[in-house]
Amino acid sequence: MPGARPAPSERPRVRVLTALALMLAALLFGASLPVAEEAAAATYVPISGAGSTWSQNALDQWRANVKQYNMTVNYTGNGSSDGRNQFRNGTVDYGVSEIPYGVKDSGVVDSAPSRKFAYMPIVAGGTSFMYNLTIGNRRVTNLRLSGEVITKIFTGVVKTWNDPAIAADNPSLAAALPARRIVPVVRSDGSGTTAQFSAWMASEHAGLWDAYCRKAGRSTPCGTTSNYPMVSGSGFVGQAGSNGVSGYVAQKGNVGTITYVEYSYAVYTTGFPVVKVLNKAGYYTEPTARNVAVGLLKADINPKTLTQELTGVYRDSDPRTYPLSSYSYMIVPTAVEANFSKQKGKTLGAFAYYFLCQGQQHVDDLGYSPLPVNLVKAGLQQVRRIPGVDVESVNIKNCHNPTFSASGANTLAKSAPYPPTCDKKGASQCATGTGGDKTPTQVTGGKGSGGSSSGGGSGNGTGNTSTGGKGGTGGTTGGTGGGDDGGTSAGGTSASPSVDPDTGQVVTNDGSASGTVDGGAYSQPVTTASSIGGGTRRALMVLAAVLLLTLTVAPPLLTSVLNAKRRRS
Amino acid sequence: MTTFVPGLTGTEPGPAADDVPRDIRSSPEPADRAFRLVARGSGAAVLAIMLLVGFFLTYRAWGALSVAGFSFLTTSAWEPDSHRFGIAAVITGTVLIGLVAISLALPLALGTALYISEYAPRRLKRFLVSLVDLMAAVPSVVYGLWGAFFLQGHVVGLSRWISTYFGWIPLFRVEGAEPDDPLASMTVYTSSTFIAGMVVALMVTPIACSVMREAFSQAPPGEREGAYALGATRWGMIRSVVLPFGLGGVIGGTMLGLGRALGETIAVYMIISPVFEIQPHILQNGAISVSSLIALRYGSASELGMSALMAAGLTLFVMTLIVNFIASSIVARSRSGAGAEA
Repeated sequence: MPGARPAPSERPRVRVLTALALMLAALLFGASLPVAEEAAAATYVPISGAGSTWSQNALDQWRANVKQYNMTVNYTGNGSSDGRNQFRNGTVDYGVSEIPYGVKDSGVVDSAPSRKFAYMPIVAGGTSFMYNLTIGNRRVTNLRLSGEVITKIFTGVVKTWNDPAIAADNPSLAAALPARRIVPVVRSDGSGTTAQFSAWMASEHAGLWDAYCRKAGRSTPCGTTSNYPMVSGSGFVGQAGSNGVSGYVAQKGNVGTITYVEYSYAVYTTGFPVVKVLNKAGYYTEPTARNVAVGLLKADINPKTLTQELTGVYRDSDPRTYPLSSYSYMIVPTAVEANFSKQKGKTLGAFAYYFLCQGQQHVDDLGYSPLPVNLVKAGLQQVRRIPGVDVESVNIKNCHNPTFSASGANTLAKSAPYPPTCDKKGASQCATGTGGDKTPTQVTGGKGSGGSSSGGGSGNGTGNTSTGGKGGTGGTTGGTGGGDDGGTSAGGTSASPSVDPDTGQVVTNDGSASGTVDGGAYSQPVTTASSIGGGTRRALMVLAAVLLLTLTVAPPLLTSVLNAKRRRS
Repeated sequence: MTTFVPGLTGTEPGPAADDVPRDIRSSPEPADRAFRLVARGSGAAVLAIMLLVGFFLTYRAWGALSVAGFSFLTTSAWEPDSHRFGIAAVITGTVLIGLVAISLALPLALGTALYISEYAPRRLKRFLVSLVDLMAAVPSVVYGLWGAFFLQGHVVGLSRWISTYFGWIPLFRVEGAEPDDPLASMTVYTSSTFIAGMVVALMVTPIACSVMREAFSQAPPGEREGAYALGATRWGMIRSVVLPFGLGGVIGGTMLGLGRALGETIAVYMIISPVFEIQPHILQNGAISVSSLIALRYGSASELGMSALMAAGLTLFVMTLIVNFIASSIVARSRSGAGAEA
């Protein structure tokens, strides 16, 4: 990079002076200026990195924020495996990955690069299960599942949404769960999210996971893998990148899909609900910043490499914990080699100081969880090892990291609220929404406080029955249809609906009666016995085709016939 | 670029004894010599680069090919780390996507090219030409995003309709589809060969279109006027003059488009749900192509995995070479625009 030569020798003194002045200013005004404030004056060479899409939303935010310091930090989210490979090959200055090097995947060890490197934790978060499910025509937002059922879904054992195992986890939805096929959406590229999820399954539900791997032709024990094994013909859908899977699930037509993705993609990117996962304490929890912070108190961090061992998190018995919590790591070079220079080290160092300190402040808004004090400190130690870094002594108190406290305890975890009793495994179920869709699933008829997509008829408007009377006796008896706002509320805690013994369908009072919380009405589409609109529709289509053909072919034919007649006469 | 001019030899008959042909190999001008050198050099460089690419791919693919052996052509799974990999499914998927793309792009490009070159008023013509060029300039990732997040949601209805009424044709069958079930998920129609092919068709149309348009506009004006003089309508003239003269361009444009369709990466990568089995049902979820396989697995490939990807790349390389050779031989044999110029 021309024009980015190292500063002349008197520069450091100037910088020290500036830093001193700034520190004074900070002390005087009580302002928080801990990081690279001199950055505005300094020149930074651009750096580039690649890797995880799990933590990409946070990184993108930080990258945008440091633009004001004239720092250009490029990042390509192509998956953690790509990030590790590119860092190993020396094509990028830093990599981002959820798992370290050296993990054995399908019998092949992902070897560490020959260049010198260190792991630096950048952000915490929960691998969530985002889904697109509707009952009637209204989106379900309060689904909850146990780990075993999740594993069964993603290994193709549980195939439909009305499976008794799912119903058992969701007492208030149980009777209304539709007979839809579950479409698991998995990552088709090499992914750290897949690695985190498979590590959890291999640790907690090894039997199911290995059985699935065997079906997919992998050798067992399957263990952690970055490439999700696919069994052909199983109805799984593979998509590339976190944006790919979450975008696929969020498409309006793709009802019945579920995927594993960082919480951020549900909260921040798409606005979709996530599954509340059962923890060892018997509570269903959501991967909020606080729940993740609680879970990660049990993470076993290797003091040397800072890598994580998460079995403690999976099995934590705190009722607030989210079992699939984990950290994401940046892989930073610690020596000048392979395209990396001291000038780049300066940029990378300043960027790292920014995101370890100030950057952690607002990650919870994006759906992540801030790093705890001890990991920020450890990360700051790692920054010192980057060649060319302008070492700063960061006063952690000024970072405004929500986890910090004077006593050293993790404030965020300490202040995390205990889950309400309706989240406990049992007969009751909270109606509140999750993830990016806080619309409660228990909606009283006609109030319409949510469910914006309802209305406009359900499906093709064909024979969905619904609420009224004896739902389920046939497509033609349907009263209100799925489009009716009153038709779709699921489940009150006080009134458990009765089920018709013959048809297995729910019998409730009429959903159009507005305002009554009790007896939330279910709208439940059913399969009709005969083909919908068979003969008539086909006849109409043929008619339309004939009409179109006549309209296009008839006029020229007619003219030529008329012309011929005229010529003859 | 030969300096040998056939007309000059033997034009002056004379006594046999003195019949020494005049030396016509005068030393060329320095500028000519430089031009010849540059032209030859770049021609040779293109050939050398092609050969080097082929050599490099073969060299890098050798590791995987020696592991897989002949089964590389017959295996459809792709698990290089477990030593089970082959291109049977991948090549089939590539060809299917290419064929879908071409069968949609050919009529579209042909119609557009004919309209622009024959029917459009002059002012509109320039606008349309730049519009088509603009279409070619859109990066493929934009097409991919548009296809995956917008087009797909609107096309699944068509897919469903086709599979419902034409499902008896094996190509259009969708396994696991239940058109009579209102709860059936539309996901079985998404991420399919058909949708990927549709997006690729939009990307190859401008290229094919501009090649065809060039060919059509070169149809000799004399013959056009002749056709009109004989009382042909405009369509009659197009049928008897423009299309025969432009046939080479039509085939060439189509083949060029097919070449691009076979190699299209990012748009396909973003739309398809990769599946490693021979999947001839084009409307059904699941597709794969060589280039998207490489894009998908390149980042996370182990050493053998990389070699296997190189082997897949080699097959694509050979395949596109064959397609292009066939195309050029067809173009050379047909009564093309180039022939008409002479």
